[in-house]
Amino acid sequence: MDKDSITHFGFENVKAGEKAERVAGVFHSVAAKYDIMNDVMSGGVHRLWKRFTIEAAAPRPGQQILDIAGGTGDLTQQFSRRVGESGHVVLADINSSMLNVGRDKLLNAGIAHNITYTQTDAQFLPFDDNSFDIITIAFGLRNVTDKDLALASMLRVLKPGGRLLILEFSKPKSKTLENFYDQYSFKLLPFMGKLVANDPDSYRYLAESIRKHPDQETLKSMMDNVGFANTNYTNMTGGIVALHKGFKP
Amino acid sequence: MLDKKLLSILVCPVTKGPLIFDAKNNELVSLTANLAYPIRDDIPVMLEGEAREMTLDEKEQWQSEH
Repeated sequence: MDKDSITHFGFENVKAGEKAERVAGVFHSVAAKYDIMNDVMSGGVHRLWKRFTIEAAAPRPGQQILDIAGGTGDLTQQFSRRVGESGHVVLADINSSMLNVGRDKLLNAGIAHNITYTQTDAQFLPFDDNSFDIITIAFGLRNVTDKDLALASMLRVLKPGGRLLILEFSKPKSKTLENFYDQYSFKLLPFMGKLVANDPDSYRYLAESIRKHPDQETLKSMMDNVGFANTNYTNMTGGIVALHKGFKP
Repeated sequence: MLDKKLLSILVCPVTKGPLIFDAKNNELVSLTANLAYPIRDDIPVMLEGEAREMTLDEKEQWQSEH
């Protein structure tokens, strides 16, 4: 993608070269309140979505795992326990504020022994080919400017047989749910963002970016096109969120 | 100190070439991209936009050592 080509920042159109900077602004702004806002916005349900993702990843002792856009470390914390002393979890995020919040949280939880950190752009992963057994990206892909480039980069650093799991907001399956969800996210979400984090604009971006993200079938074909095998997805909470899975052949 | 497990899989995000840990400047040096990536608060910042372009002298010095 050319840096002058047009992409979206929520419902605004911006130059591709500017999107990363705008997204960075959002996450510098929300980092400190990120965890509490996730609980407030989803009524705690994000914990179930993440637990389901961990089970689908099926981590085993000794494995190498990359948690992209891992932010405040919810998935990394669980992976760290499951891969044990001989395993290794890399928590990667493009945003330094999110990484610092995540590292502090994991250090306070006393489980940092097998976790390392890198500030990383998902489109240009700084890892050797065939490095990881599992890659996860939870609520991160929709913020990436060129998603095809990011998917190809993930495929490159996965080991053959390794799996990618993408947890992301998606398209609700029923019209009724979609209407309710629209009301919720365009009216209530910015209001809660103002109340809890004093940052309504960032949470408006969140709602808009979710609507712009490719739906279930589109994302699945994007994974197929870059070369993932046995791709599939599972809808959760009526398709508000979907977990996509694919393997490196 | 940078973790050995991490260092063993890190490559330059631009060229995918090898990196040299420069303990003195606390940077990761990519000779293939002519860039030095900073390490801030023990976290390697593997972003092209944050990297420092190396001088010719610096590059030649690394090349003579490696």
